[in-house]
Amino acid sequence: MAHSTQTLEKGAAKAAPAAAVYSVRRPRSATAKKMFPYLLVGPAVLYLLAITLYPGLFAMYQSLFVVKFVNWSWAGLGNYTRIIQDREFWAALGNTAIIGGLSLSLQTIIAMTVAFFCYRDPFVRGWRIVFLMPMLFMPSAVAFIWKLAFNDGRVISDLLMSVGLASNNVDWLSSVWLARLTLIVADVWQWTPFLFIIFVGALQGQDEEIEEAARLDGASWSSIFWNISLPMMRPIIVVAVTLRGIDITTMFTNVYIMTQGTPGGATETMSYFIYRQGFRMFNFGYASAASVLMLLITIVIAQTIVKRAFKSGKS
Amino acid sequence: MASIRKSGGDNLLVRYIILVSWALVCVVPILWFLTIGFRPRTEIIVPEPIYWPTWSLDAWRLLVSDWPIALYLRNSILAVAGSVVIDLVLAIPAAFALARYEFKGREDIGFYILSTRMMAPAIVAVPIFFLFKNIGLLDSVWALMLIYAAINLSLVTWIIRSYMLDIPKELEDAARTDGAGDLTILWEIMIPACLPGIITAAVIAAIFAINEFLFTLLIASTSKAYTMSVALANFTGGSDGVIYNAIALVSFIAFAPILILVILIQKHLSRGLTMGAVKG
Repeated sequence: MAHSTQTLEKGAAKAAPAAAVYSVRRPRSATAKKMFPYLLVGPAVLYLLAITLYPGLFAMYQSLFVVKFVNWSWAGLGNYTRIIQDREFWAALGNTAIIGGLSLSLQTIIAMTVAFFCYRDPFVRGWRIVFLMPMLFMPSAVAFIWKLAFNDGRVISDLLMSVGLASNNVDWLSSVWLARLTLIVADVWQWTPFLFIIFVGALQGQDEEIEEAARLDGASWSSIFWNISLPMMRPIIVVAVTLRGIDITTMFTNVYIMTQGTPGGATETMSYFIYRQGFRMFNFGYASAASVLMLLITIVIAQTIVKRAFKSGKS
Repeated sequence: MASIRKSGGDNLLVRYIILVSWALVCVVPILWFLTIGFRPRTEIIVPEPIYWPTWSLDAWRLLVSDWPIALYLRNSILAVAGSVVIDLVLAIPAAFALARYEFKGREDIGFYILSTRMMAPAIVAVPIFFLFKNIGLLDSVWALMLIYAAINLSLVTWIIRSYMLDIPKELEDAARTDGAGDLTILWEIMIPACLPGIITAAVIAAIFAINEFLFTLLIASTSKAYTMSVALANFTGGSDGVIYNAIALVSFIAFAPILILVILIQKHLSRGLTMGAVKG
């Protein structure tokens, strides 16, 4: 649409060369001008609506039925009343919070420490490439690395035994916390680089002179970190940790490949719960109800934290 | 001549102990896994781990003879490249509007686009599965392309928008007085000027798309549409157990090009990963 007006304008300019100097650009009508930004942003929004609104509404609709292959029978809010009494659902929610929370805290601390020790190092470019490598592995491959290291190849047990930290072979899937630990290790290993890259960029971007001045005043490096670097980086930390936190709540691949929710559901995350209900047990209505509940939780999080994070990140 | 500038920890020894330790944590598993790809299968899962490998090309032979790696590569490349093209076509005009025009609802539209990134894949997995089933696109590379594009559209839009915000308005005003229309400005000024942002966005979108797992698992129900990421998980189960040496080899085949791409855009990576909320 807008493009054709362009060509028309050019054509008009050619036809009347004498007046061209002043009327090359015919002023477009006020409404056309008003609509233009919507035309630009429209296709993207429509695409996203198609792929988010449709699934959202479909999930809400399907969650009101008991679905058995092609037969849908009306269940009203039955799926929902069942699900809020389902201990597995709450366990999955809890597991997601526990595994994600621990993993995110560890990642933040490690990323910050490493970034702080390396941002003024003469070899910082080299460190950056080394430290970001784990992130570039396919998540499925990372899950296999740690599945082999912990369970199938017994390498970690063997190493622990050789330094005297374990007396015999550890069965990592036998205990709730050991199994969770394997997921946390895999997640921390792969995703600490994400936070590191952002933190180190932020530290490098801060004003060196303020640091220098503080140092001349006799401030120790730790007080420079706590009193200068950290406060200045606050908005960036909030944005980065929020984005990472959202990704962690969707943890699926590691669970699917490494633990499958064992032992006794202790490592089943929300995503895996929905997957298992839908695609293993074919309770599609039930899985949709879980999706809708999770959607509500996500919307609340997105509305509050993210909006604030992105505002503070910009200022 | 750059002097060794002081950073956290005036004590060089402490600094290097920390940095080297973390470097080992990052690199040792990767190197160890690399050796897995060059070992015979019998050596990988044994009661006592064997640290020094007997070299073998078993995994290579398996990949070449039994495994349609060319097909999976083709699927990955087609779905990823197609999705990035879709993203750029939709995102560049959208980013332009969000960065440069005043219009009613701009903030809300921008936040809506951003918020789609916050949706857990599992939430939309079930309906998306039915959507593609109903339009007969299950098990196809085209479906993957559409999904990957949707997953990354918000990211790409926001990254490009942030780069467009940095372009001085004077450049645009000068062009406008010369008689350039809105689309000419977008095409001839904005796009060339924020090319680093566009490339960063494209590379990051490509990485996320290559790695995408859940949707690919659901939509590629037979191996016809498998990508590298999901085909890996296919090396498990059955009577053979997990075929680790092949998995290791494939993961390195996918890792190498990503590493090169990322080294090329290293400077822009932190800004890209935060969707432009962080400058630098």
